[in-house]
Amino acid sequence: MSTVEITANPTIDSPTHHDEHGHHDHHHKQSFISKYIFSTDHKMISKQYLITGIIMGCFGMGMSLLFRMQLAWPDETFPLFESLLGKWGKGGKLDPNYYMALVTIHGTIMVFYVLTAGLSGTFSNLLIPLQVGARDMASPFMNMLSYWFFFLSSVVLMSSFLVETGPASSGWTVYPPLSALEKAMPGSGLGTTLWLVAIILFIVSALLGGINYIVTVLNMRTKGMSMNRLPLTIWAFLLTAVLGLLSFPVLLGAGLLLIFDRSFGTSFYLSDIHLNGVGALSNSGGSPVLYQHLFWFLGHPEVYIILMPALGISSEVISTNARKPIFGYTAMVISLIGISFLSFIVWGHHMFITGMNPFLGTMFMYVTLIIAVPSAVKTFNYLATLWKGNIRFTTGMMFAIGLVSLFISGGLTGIYLGNAALDIQLHDSYFVVAHFHLVMGSAAIFGMFAGIYHWFPKMFGKMMNKTLGTLHFWLTFISAYLVFFPMHFMGLAGVPRRYYQFSLIPEFDIWMDVNVFITVSAFLGGVAQLLFLYNFFNSIFRGEKATKNPWESNTLEWTTPVEHIHGNWPGAIPTVYRGPHEYSRPDRESDYFPQNDPGNGEPEHYHAPVPIDTSYSGPKEKPSKVFFSSFAHLFLAKKVQA
Amino acid sequence: MNTKTKYLLKLTLAVVVLLISVISINQSFDFSTVNLDQITAEKPLFGADEFKYEAPTADAGDSALSSKINWAIFIFVILLVLVIANTLDISKYISKITGKETINQNEINKWIMLIFMIVGLAAVVWEYQVHGKLILLNNSSSEHGASYDSMFTITLALTTIVFFITQFLLFWFAFTYAKKDGQKALYYSHNNKLEVIWTIIPSIVLTVLVLRGHQTWKSVVYAEDNYKGKIKKIEVFAYQFGWKARYAGEDGVLGNVDYKFISGKNELGLAYGPEVDDLLVELKDKIKLDQEAIKNLKVTLASLNIDYSAADGLKDYTTMEAIQKQIDDVMDGTTLSELEASIKRKTKQIDRIEAIKNNPKIFASTFTGSEEDDIITQEIHLSKDSLVTLNFRSRDIIHSAWLPHFRAQMNVVPGMPTKFTFKPTKSTTEAKKEFGEEFEYYLYCNKICGTSHYNMKIKVVVESQVEVDAWLKSQQPVFKKVEAVPAIMNAIDSTLATEPVNKLALK
Ligand code: HEM
Ligand SMILES: [Cu+2]
Ligand SMILES: [Cu+2]
Repeated sequence: MSTVEITANPTIDSPTHHDEHGHHDHHHKQSFISKYIFSTDHKMISKQYLITGIIMGCFGMGMSLLFRMQLAWPDETFPLFESLLGKWGKGGKLDPNYYMALVTIHGTIMVFYVLTAGLSGTFSNLLIPLQVGARDMASPFMNMLSYWFFFLSSVVLMSSFLVETGPASSGWTVYPPLSALEKAMPGSGLGTTLWLVAIILFIVSALLGGINYIVTVLNMRTKGMSMNRLPLTIWAFLLTAVLGLLSFPVLLGAGLLLIFDRSFGTSFYLSDIHLNGVGALSNSGGSPVLYQHLFWFLGHPEVYIILMPALGISSEVISTNARKPIFGYTAMVISLIGISFLSFIVWGHHMFITGMNPFLGTMFMYVTLIIAVPSAVKTFNYLATLWKGNIRFTTGMMFAIGLVSLFISGGLTGIYLGNAALDIQLHDSYFVVAHFHLVMGSAAIFGMFAGIYHWFPKMFGKMMNKTLGTLHFWLTFISAYLVFFPMHFMGLAGVPRRYYQFSLIPEFDIWMDVNVFITVSAFLGGVAQLLFLYNFFNSIFRGEKATKNPWESNTLEWTTPVEHIHGNWPGAIPTVYRGPHEYSRPDRESDYFPQNDPGNGEPEHYHAPVPIDTSYSGPKEKPSKVFFSSFAHLFLAKKVQA
Repeated sequence: MNTKTKYLLKLTLAVVVLLISVISINQSFDFSTVNLDQITAEKPLFGADEFKYEAPTADAGDSALSSKINWAIFIFVILLVLVIANTLDISKYISKITGKETINQNEINKWIMLIFMIVGLAAVVWEYQVHGKLILLNNSSSEHGASYDSMFTITLALTTIVFFITQFLLFWFAFTYAKKDGQKALYYSHNNKLEVIWTIIPSIVLTVLVLRGHQTWKSVVYAEDNYKGKIKKIEVFAYQFGWKARYAGEDGVLGNVDYKFISGKNELGLAYGPEVDDLLVELKDKIKLDQEAIKNLKVTLASLNIDYSAADGLKDYTTMEAIQKQIDDVMDGTTLSELEASIKRKTKQIDRIEAIKNNPKIFASTFTGSEEDDIITQEIHLSKDSLVTLNFRSRDIIHSAWLPHFRAQMNVVPGMPTKFTFKPTKSTTEAKKEFGEEFEYYLYCNKICGTSHYNMKIKVVVESQVEVDAWLKSQQPVFKKVEAVPAIMNAIDSTLATEPVNKLALK
């Protein structure tokens, strides 16, 4: 790879402009605008993404608390509703249309704005150049554009709250015909137009960012940074970007066709409709199911776009803080690649009962359950990484452990939902809400928090308060389970999702106290986030100053100075000699071995002087014994260590 | 007193404060008594299945309660923040004096990990027992429901085991391998054999599950094809926001339908000649009205303006707003384009209906006469122990027909017929014995379809065939038998009258 060679010889000024910046940046002062607003520096853009993401997260969370109040106390009046929402909360009662609008925008914000842009955008931008050893992104300008499209998109989305007919309210999936027909629901008017515009801007942003991430990872690695020495974070970001690049355009197509149907009288998704108050529509020949296919062709990869960066981050954080190499690096990478590939052919599991041909359902069931295998492998590898570690409970580490726990809990229920037969009953019930909030919502949010706490010193040069962090973690962790775990049982008892209130159906009365419990727990989680916000912003300004490598980590980002400079390294870009996870090597004094440390002739990987498994794997061995003997290996390994 | 005990003392104090706050909240607002009573008190008449949304009205008791809750939450937040700030202050103060980290947070967190695991897993067991009792399992009211439930049970058992093992390992490792000074972690980067094993075992387990799932799925979705005999068909019709059921009359055939025929008197759009004729007249009248309205736009605007000024200031803000919107719509052309679109739409509808009428072949296959005796009902009555196919049709938006007690669900899609075949095995009377006197089966809407989605349901009754027949007898056919042959029917060339064809199926 040519760029690698260019940057490889740092004493010669390379012809790329990054190096120019690296050498000349401190000579001129940047204006406020070029430094903080239209910045092309990946570190600044990463902070912009993070802060925008946090702000959007506050909106998303606030909305969930509002509509949770409605679910818990459907017969109360809350003056708060009227003062916040005006005519939609008249007399302190939340309007049912607006309830749906809040749910819709909550889902949209959380999925796209917080966990796609806020998570991927922040950490891909921060870590890709720093961890692969590049001075900036391949195209810093496109990177800046990517952020500003995202920003614009956020503004457009939020502005739909100012519209007379309210924001989009047909669910975050905006299925037509509900979303296509202005008269079907107030939110399907201007609100949905704004939603579509916002999403299109968002897609532009995601594509601009994604191309950049891919090119940077593939072309701008420093000398010695071969693909098998990439930290797992980078692998996750790379594959995430590929997923986005291939699937977002399909959503763009789906959205454009929807716009045509809404505004230009086409019938892609519409057929045989007689709408109340309007009469028979002329549209014929379209299919609403077509939209669902297009939507979920993005929609399913999207959940991995959300999840994979979180998994990458937690791999890195767990390895660093368990002071152990990540167990099965190769298996982890293969799992990520497997998940990425499979995620393109499982979208139909969201559509088992849409009237799609049942045979298709069968196929989608098979591939869906295959995708559970690499997910399981990842879980076991996390567990094995913790085993016999020397675990430091930094806040980041605790969030990473929390992620694994939530990933298990949420992942297991995926086995139910991927089974077409079981999905007949579970589809669109609260069981689904529980499932995706654990596996995609909470797990990914935990990955994001792990990343924030872990790389905060790198981003802001300060440390976050650890006690507050600990408190934040435990409160959030507990509240996540208290909120979402009971929802499984509601779903299994036949409670449908997206219901404005349950008090009209006597059968659901038994769940009223659970609903109250969930809402109170959600408020507990909300309070915890206040602690986080305080800690975050307070630490930016008044936090303790960070050292260069506070977690004693191996990766390259910790070799850059605490004060940010354009071009990342004041001198040459460091050369890489080994993989990122060489912690606690028996042949070294210290328990970490930075990637850029040439060492004293140690081999790249440490091999135990006594091969661990000779005494256990003989040709005579029965296959049934293999399973147990491998556990024996674990204990033997302990003795060797001792 | 050494710093550790001092700290412990303060911590206990903090916990006590927290406890008191929780208790005080509990007293100010007793969840268990208040809610259920309140809700049951306001329950609307049950069984009415078409609701217009009406904003529930508040009464004084409610607002008192809600302000109590607001206060409780407020107090809770304040106390919590106080406790935290207090704790932080202490630890900072102490570490300043002693010059070293006062609390070994690693130790504390390690223990919380363990406690969390124990309490958490215990809570899960508790949940399984308390709320697990309420789930729909092993009590299905349909034949395939039994095999569904066994599939579910297997999955539940397997995932529960894996859940407990993995969560235990996770927190146990976190606890036992927490940092110890002067210790190094084990350098252990892979073990191919182990990894192969834990790839293969889940693969096998999942294969077993998926094969079972495939079996169950096939038996459910192909139930109709697999059954050799004749299956009774009932049409279930969904619209914003309600359901209707349609039974075939004496001829045993469901008449043809077309969304273009839907009118006020012909809600399901049956191909019934006289109604369609009426609809044509009605549409033409409406077009005339629209044309009239376009001509009179100026006059309308003038009268709206008078209304507006007469409405006099901000006395009635909602009315003012509404009038203003009408004025705006006329001014910016919205009204005009809406009227024009409406004319275009109706013209097209007329054209299409006429096209059917003018093509003798299509006419004959559409207007077969079998719709006349169809029965449209507000409830679905099913006969126990016989297979039934529900044919779903939507008037407008995607809905979803969910019968949780029968483990049955299918989306209802405009323009695309869907169906679900199953055999009810438990009558309503039997179910009442099991679930309580008030119990009724319902079919709920389970796909968001608009404002009143949460209240879109239809009662389902399972009874003996005799009872179903008796009930059907008591229902009126949609269109009474007319003695005289209606005008439109004269056009049928009797030689062209063919077997009734399901029009939807032809598409
Ligand atoms: C503060 C914590 C949260 C609470 C209390 C909460 C609660 C809820 C509830 C009650 C619903 C409505 C379920 C329904 O009726 O269908 C919902 C919907 C949803 N939530 Fe959350 N949620 C939270 C955080 C998140 C996060 C972190 C995500 C990120 C993925 C998320 C994504 C969604 C999505 C995609 C929907 C579906 C929206 C729709 O039905 O269109 N939520 N949430
Ligand atoms: Cu999916
Ligand atoms: Cu609905």
